[in-house]
Amino acid sequence: MEHTIELQDVSKAFGKFQAVDRLSFRVPRGVIFGLLGPNGAGKTTSIRMIMNITAPDSGQIRVLGRPLDRETQNRIGYLPEERGLYRKMKVIDHLLFLADIKNVSRDSAKARIGEWLDKMELRPWLNKKVDELSKGMQQKVQFIATIVHDPEVLILDEVFSGLDPINAALVKEYLLDFKARGKTILFSTHVLEQAEKLCDEIVLLAKSKKVLDGNLKELKRQRAAGELRLACTASAVEVAALPGVASSVAVNGEYVVSLAPGTDRREFLRKALERYDVQAFSQREPELEEIYLSAVREAGMEETRTIE
Amino acid sequence: MDWKKVFAIVRREYVERVRTKAFWIGTALIPIFFLGYIGIQIAAGRRAGGERRLAVVDVTGGLYEPLAADLQHREQKNASEPGHDRGVHWVVEQRPVTGTLDATKEALRQEVLAKKIDGYLILDLAQLEKDRVEYYTASVSEFVAMNQLERSVNHVLLKERIAKRGLPPELAAELERRVDLKPFKVTKEGATEEKGASFFAVLIFTIILYSTFLMYGMQNMKGVIDEKTNRIVEVVIASVRPTELMLGKIVGIGLVGLTQYLIWSLVAMNLSLPAIAGMMATTDMGVPKIPISMIVYFLLFFVFGYFLYASIYTAIGAPFNTDQEAQQLAMIPMMFIISVWAFFPALMNNPNGGVALFVSLFPFTAPLGMFMRTAMGQPPVWQIGLSLGLIAITTFAIAWLAGRIYRVGILMYGKKPTIPEIVRWIRYKPGQAPQPAAGEAT
Repeated sequence: MEHTIELQDVSKAFGKFQAVDRLSFRVPRGVIFGLLGPNGAGKTTSIRMIMNITAPDSGQIRVLGRPLDRETQNRIGYLPEERGLYRKMKVIDHLLFLADIKNVSRDSAKARIGEWLDKMELRPWLNKKVDELSKGMQQKVQFIATIVHDPEVLILDEVFSGLDPINAALVKEYLLDFKARGKTILFSTHVLEQAEKLCDEIVLLAKSKKVLDGNLKELKRQRAAGELRLACTASAVEVAALPGVASSVAVNGEYVVSLAPGTDRREFLRKALERYDVQAFSQREPELEEIYLSAVREAGMEETRTIE
Repeated sequence: MDWKKVFAIVRREYVERVRTKAFWIGTALIPIFFLGYIGIQIAAGRRAGGERRLAVVDVTGGLYEPLAADLQHREQKNASEPGHDRGVHWVVEQRPVTGTLDATKEALRQEVLAKKIDGYLILDLAQLEKDRVEYYTASVSEFVAMNQLERSVNHVLLKERIAKRGLPPELAAELERRVDLKPFKVTKEGATEEKGASFFAVLIFTIILYSTFLMYGMQNMKGVIDEKTNRIVEVVIASVRPTELMLGKIVGIGLVGLTQYLIWSLVAMNLSLPAIAGMMATTDMGVPKIPISMIVYFLLFFVFGYFLYASIYTAIGAPFNTDQEAQQLAMIPMMFIISVWAFFPALMNNPNGGVALFVSLFPFTAPLGMFMRTAMGQPPVWQIGLSLGLIAITTFAIAWLAGRIYRVGILMYGKKPTIPEIVRWIRYKPGQAPQPAAGEAT
């Protein structure tokens, strides 16, 4: 399977500070890939190295099958964490300029810009200066700027930071739409709830190192850890008395039950069905945040800054 | 280099700048300022006139009448010649010596202070013996007026001396005749008459060159800092190389400068030149003559000098986040550009002397220094070539340096970097990011 982005043992130090430590991961084609971790974990440095803005000290990076060159650069849409616009430029001129430096012809750029301005209801602002736009509108313009050349790969650093909920929802929708059209999206965030809803694949960073990577669904399945959700008529004491129950906690009208090691799940369910009226029963999958914390714990990096 | 991308940067810089009101206001104001300056100079020269009330204490007894007559005679003669300075109108009155001469002087001094008279002249035998005449006035810097008075006194004294010897009075006019030194500038094309006008042209061109170096050099620095402040630079860097961005900016801003020149010369040729020429024809300077060679050198040294200073200003702007932070270092190229005025007299008086040679070859002062020399003297071609070569080499070196600082500096937000840090940026291997100093917390 071809990978759009591949990192192999990539390291980067700023003096004594190791920003990225032997990082390897692969981004398959057509997925939404989350580069996750707290602030300072090395996400932005990794992205800048992928974009060839900063060079790695060692290791290899390949984008669309080869080291990043001018031609591949034009096929990537990049939204840096530090993003802005020329304040005195008209919206249309600004977007055309950013298309120019991606070597997009003016005609196709104009068509695509027009389409997106309509989609984002910015058409009336076409000839206004960036200065005159609200912050939310500027963010929309920045987003259009990222995709004005119809890139195959989108690399978005903290794409949701500073977005109001409405724009965040819009961007989420567009990202899913891009994915549906076969594009690959790599985005970084320190807010794991956002990643949870969007990502197909993730890599988790902590203290400049990779702690975990892979398909999010599989990771969740692997780490389900014998926890079950049970909604039934029994009382807390009655649930605790069921065979094989190590602990149970009532959460929002249902019980989160941990079974003792070696307990048969089917046996537990049979008993529950015999005794009580069971409305719902499911295996509880861990939240991304729990996976992250346990992975960090396993890697022996507990003192890592807490997730914001 | 991807020239299409460089061109896109050039176009953006150029179009956005030419579109601003500031550009058009500047383009309009600078010539207006120039014309106004010339106009004021000419008007001031012409109207150094007005009325001067002069009290004359004639101890000798026989000089007052002829002096008053001569002053009036000169005034009438000036008035009859159109276009000539009329000078001041003297209202003279004689004052007797009351009490001692000192007491008289003191009384007149009080009158000057009370502004009843503008000044007083003492024609004293003892002083005349020493070829001196005392003139007291509140404003000793009125050279035109004083010059008039001096001429009249000399003329009267001359006539008196001639009369004493029993010689014919017409002799005075004969003896007062003087010659003027008429300079001709020797060039390859032959000798052309020099009326001080080309000096004036050199001055104007030098001022234009000087102010555009400062103005457009500084705009490069501001542009770089603006892109960082606006947080746009990383978006752009994802599409173009830092060197392409740098080159595009410098060229784009430089073209704005050339456009301004073009507008000025078009307007000057069609409109204001006849007006200026008309005004200047009435002065001793005459109409300035601008040889083609001067324009060629002007453009040549504009291009070379502009690239040099623009690279310096870019290097200075790259590490900083605000104009204020960069201000201190921005003084360095500014001092080089301004220093040319300190050498200006030396260049004028001896365009081929040692100082001139140094100023016109030292790369940081050469763009202005060599331009002035080409306009005033005839420096050997090899010197012009050497000067251009040295500027070019320095520009490449600075541009290389600027590129290295730029590459790292444009991604540095937040704290103001120290000079040692910037030096470290320059020393990295290409593509590497900054190394904080040993023991420095990151």
